[in-house]
Amino acid sequence: MKIIACFKVSPESQDIQTRPDRTLSLDRAVWKIGAYDLNAIEAARQLGDQMAATVTGLSAGGPDLASPKLTKDALSRGLDELSLVTDPALPAADTYQTAEILARAIAQTEDAQVVFVGAGSADGYNQQVGNILGGLLGWSTLNAVHAVTPAGDHLVVERLLEDAVEIVEVTLPAVLSLTSSANTPRIAGMKDILAAGKRPVTTLDVGAPVAAGAELISELAPEQVDRRHVVIPGPAAEAAATLATYLNTL
Amino acid sequence: MDFALNDDQQLFVENIRELMRRENWEAYFAECDAKHEYPERWVKALCELGFDLIMLPEEHGGLNLGLVTLTAVYEELGRWGAPTYVLYQLPCFDTILREGTPAQIEKILAYVGTGQQIWNSACTEPGAGSDVGSLTTTYTRRDGKIYLNGHKTFITSSAHVPYLVIMTRDSDNPDCFTEWLVDMSLPGIKIEPLDKLGLRMDSCSDVYLDNVELDESDMFGTEGAGFKRGVKDFDFERFLVAACDYGWALCAFEDAARYANVRVQFGKPIGRFQLNQLKFAEMAVRINAMKNMVYEAAWSYDRGEMTSAQAAMCKYYCPTAAAEVVDRAMQVMGGVSVAGDHRIQRFYRDLRVERISGGTDEMMILTLAKGILRQYAA
Repeated sequence: MKIIACFKVSPESQDIQTRPDRTLSLDRAVWKIGAYDLNAIEAARQLGDQMAATVTGLSAGGPDLASPKLTKDALSRGLDELSLVTDPALPAADTYQTAEILARAIAQTEDAQVVFVGAGSADGYNQQVGNILGGLLGWSTLNAVHAVTPAGDHLVVERLLEDAVEIVEVTLPAVLSLTSSANTPRIAGMKDILAAGKRPVTTLDVGAPVAAGAELISELAPEQVDRRHVVIPGPAAEAAATLATYLNTL
Repeated sequence: MDFALNDDQQLFVENIRELMRRENWEAYFAECDAKHEYPERWVKALCELGFDLIMLPEEHGGLNLGLVTLTAVYEELGRWGAPTYVLYQLPCFDTILREGTPAQIEKILAYVGTGQQIWNSACTEPGAGSDVGSLTTTYTRRDGKIYLNGHKTFITSSAHVPYLVIMTRDSDNPDCFTEWLVDMSLPGIKIEPLDKLGLRMDSCSDVYLDNVELDESDMFGTEGAGFKRGVKDFDFERFLVAACDYGWALCAFEDAARYANVRVQFGKPIGRFQLNQLKFAEMAVRINAMKNMVYEAAWSYDRGEMTSAQAAMCKYYCPTAAAEVVDRAMQVMGGVSVAGDHRIQRFYRDLRVERISGGTDEMMILTLAKGILRQYAA
């Protein structure tokens, strides 16, 4: 049995710079595994240990994805093996294209029973890939997953909703999108990093991505607005009411 | 020349950074410093990532990653203001593996991974500082046992380590210097902790030895070879002092640079004033010189080529250069750095101690000059 952790490699957000025309410069950006995707790897490792399953990392991206440092970084976080799909068109793929490529890769993976996806990617944070992927595969599909416990031939899943915790029994196979607080991803030790270099990395050939389902018109940083220097004096309750009124007029 | 760290080294450093980023360790360090306490929780967290395996040979379960790797880790930790000086015993297992008996090695290596303090050596006495040869602590053989008598002072870590390697001379043959691995729970040992200007997260104490009874098996290394053992390990210890100092200088420099870019006076960030720019230029020169000196020494060590002069050069230059950086950083940050409890105050105190502990500036100059001149001797 295999448990799959999907992750996306994207530019480190603190390295992204805004040009004067509000376009984004990635020139100085280091490419890292998305912070939320580390939750997926950690959840897969923990469930893998409980179910004696092999934990496989899966990522789709540009050719740089196969760099030894990135693959070691991923494998050192608790993966047993890594599968990659690389295509020059993938870094610009929309959520449907990404999910469709991942679905093809998962279809090639024997005995995959659980797929974990992070809360959202570190760049777009669309929070869509997990649910689209589950739909394409025709598997049980849940998001907002906060905890997962194996129970015989199925899983008991806790979903963190706005005002309640929902507990669901889920049959396998399943695609589960996690919350960002579902776990604390491990920090890789030096032994883990050295061992990662010896674990298998497979590049899958799943064909070219399908046509984009959405067209990207432009991608701009929010417009900078000058501070208005509005000060609302008075006791807290009164000031809060004035503030609320003021905000409603904006 | 290739100054780049390899992929593994970069990942070690990134994961250390992640550990340091995950919690506000600075608050813990400040508390430990104020209370003169060893930051064991932090050291344990580092050991869980394998810090104490970096210099340990593979046959003893280590990773044998070399001194350049260790330097990169020290640099990152220093950058976060971490008290790297408390870590000195963890890369120094070479001493016990070279000099220890199998039973002694087992005792010391049992602490690998725990983060606890393990041991230190005790040489200095009230009448024997840099002039180690004038020490008066003796060992005496009587009825098949060994008895230690004397007074050691300024002994780092001694309040909490389970073992001390104590330098003594034979009471019957004062020219014979021998070391002993002493279990600090033995009767006859009295410890009196001292207050200290800096490096407060590691204890510093007077150690009184009154007829401390040992066995022959407690001898450390070979009889009469006490000094020779010490000199080899001094070089490594001196290097580590320099690596710590460089890291704190980097931390203070970055704190000051970030501050100078956002602190506005007279309508512009203070970094735009030329008197402050001079400070940044002077700081950057020192940071760069320390970095290159420390990494080059580490690279030499990994090739088996680090000399005593090289270690002494690092130990002589870095505490002073780092102190000059911290001093300028303080001047840039003004009241923010001297009122309250800004971390660079700690570096300021720690660095003053660094010029004395682990070998004084004056002794470093002698070792350095002797080594350099020897290269040109006929």
